Amino acid sequence: MTPHTQTRRGSPAARVPQGPTTSTRPRERTAAPRRRIAALRSGLAHFAVFGAPGILIYAWLVLVPIALSVHYSLTNANPFNPPRRWVGLHNYRMLLHDEQFHTALRVTVVLTLIVVVVPNVAGLLIALLLDKRGRFYNAMRSVFFTPMILSSVVVSVIWTRLLDVDGPLNRALRELGVRHPPAWLSDPDLALYSVASVISWQMLGFCVVVYLAGLQSVPGELHEAAAIDGAGPVRRFRAVTWPLLAPAVTINTVVLLISAFKTYDHIKVITNGGPGAGTTATLAFDVLATGFDSNHIGYASAMAVVMLAIACLATAIALRILRAREIDL
Amino acid sequence: MSTRTPWLRPLVALCVGALFFVPLYLVLANTFKQSDEIPGHPTSPPWPPTLDNLEAVLTRPDHLFWVSLTNSVLITTVSVVVLTVLSAMLGHYLARSRSGWAKGITLALLTGLMIPAQVILIPVTDVLKAAHLMATVQGLVLFNVAYYVPFGVFVFMGFVRSIPIELEEAARVDGAGRLQIFWRVVFPLLRPASASVMIFLGVWIWNDFIDPLVILGPGRGTTVTTGIYRSIGQYQTDFGSLFALMFLATLPVLGFYLALQKHFIKGLTGGATKG
Repeated sequence: MTPHTQTRRGSPAARVPQGPTTSTRPRERTAAPRRRIAALRSGLAHFAVFGAPGILIYAWLVLVPIALSVHYSLTNANPFNPPRRWVGLHNYRMLLHDEQFHTALRVTVVLTLIVVVVPNVAGLLIALLLDKRGRFYNAMRSVFFTPMILSSVVVSVIWTRLLDVDGPLNRALRELGVRHPPAWLSDPDLALYSVASVISWQMLGFCVVVYLAGLQSVPGELHEAAAIDGAGPVRRFRAVTWPLLAPAVTINTVVLLISAFKTYDHIKVITNGGPGAGTTATLAFDVLATGFDSNHIGYASAMAVVMLAIACLATAIALRILRAREIDL
Repeated sequence: MSTRTPWLRPLVALCVGALFFVPLYLVLANTFKQSDEIPGHPTSPPWPPTLDNLEAVLTRPDHLFWVSLTNSVLITTVSVVVLTVLSAMLGHYLARSRSGWAKGITLALLTGLMIPAQVILIPVTDVLKAAHLMATVQGLVLFNVAYYVPFGVFVFMGFVRSIPIELEEAARVDGAGRLQIFWRVVFPLLRPASASVMIFLGVWIWNDFIDPLVILGPGRGTTVTTGIYRSIGQYQTDFGSLFALMFLATLPVLGFYLALQKHFIKGLTGGATKG
């Protein structure tokens, strides 16, 4: 901290205000450009110290890679097939007819829908249940939030054990009399829903905490006024609570949307894209598998660019719709 | 319902919470259970408890746990400290700037909030390779800083706007330079925002999986998450050790969470309620 504060002495910024006090009228004409230059220099110094470091590193490791992704996507880049050639939109045209890509798209959309809806709805119900003051309810809130701070790898390993064909869940089901409990992770028709449930379990606590904060910000007088007007609990929820929860709905939906869309870790650990032909392979999973495992850098980059476009578009649309619902008190 | 049956709400809450907690119980119980008992009785309580699994993980001949822990602590600490300072400065700069191109930079940064890391990882490895930073801790830290700087800037910008600019102007009149104003006046006022940024980024970077897996590479570089991932195969039959490793890897972040719980909730809910 100290070296920074020392370097500021006698800096251009400190000198600027001294200009006008010493200048007289005839001199001002020549001093004006000089002052402008001093102000510019001071602005540049300000930018160089405060703005540039963050922006440069962001440009270097995020913006340049995006530009490179677009560039690679127009080539047949492959480290084991050296002469890199320009192929134009060939990779994108291939994507249109690529069954595997269509599957990945479908898997991602289904998974995202489940992970946006389930924790949102369940989170709201649980938040309504826990919307009371006191130690007990605070402790319960912590219980629901804990999975959020766990690594998705840890969560995935736990659930892989839990959902195993002979795992604790199926044992319990057998004891309850289910003779052939489902193969949660190895049945191609079921695996995607199982993984989506695991992610929903992990994200649930986030929604609970955000909804609880939203509920506790609703002024009590509004509830009282509605009750005096004869509104029952359901009516009060619909007319008072729900509209005022709009900002919480926005946050939960957007966060769930962004994180569900890029699901990778859970897939990698739990199913590795299977069972069968990519039944749980998301776009994020397919991009890295095509790029790093099969070395089709060009093709993988085209997938990445499409994925980026969908992510930005979906988030922007969701934000626009949800923000319009928000009202000011 | 609440007036006639006051016990119903806590009871339902407790049942839902218990059901929700089962997977976490599984880790706790199996960490302290004899390894050969786990396949037969995965859900039984660990009685009598044993420390064999923890000991096995802590005394592994290849020091997997200790190497992973050291790497994770180093990567997380350095990334979070650099990110907090850098994004506080950038957030302050952008929030106070009225020029048009500052708005453009802000937009470019906030777009970064939506970019999935997987979209840029392939070219990132090329960029890092060109700088001889691939498969190094420094390379991973730099990528973390670049990737998470939008989140930091987003939080700090919102917070800076709530600080009256008069405080900074008063300091300027008193002859303080820009850096002095920032460090002595602004940064201390940003403490709540710094707390949220450090907490969130701390947890995210600690738990990060794909970035260390790709950037540190398959060599010696391993963090707690990639360490667990790599031992899944090795511990195919020794579930006790796998659960113990996960328990130990979670312990630091769990302690961090329990100690700072209030700030966690506050940081998370800052935007959920208006005003």
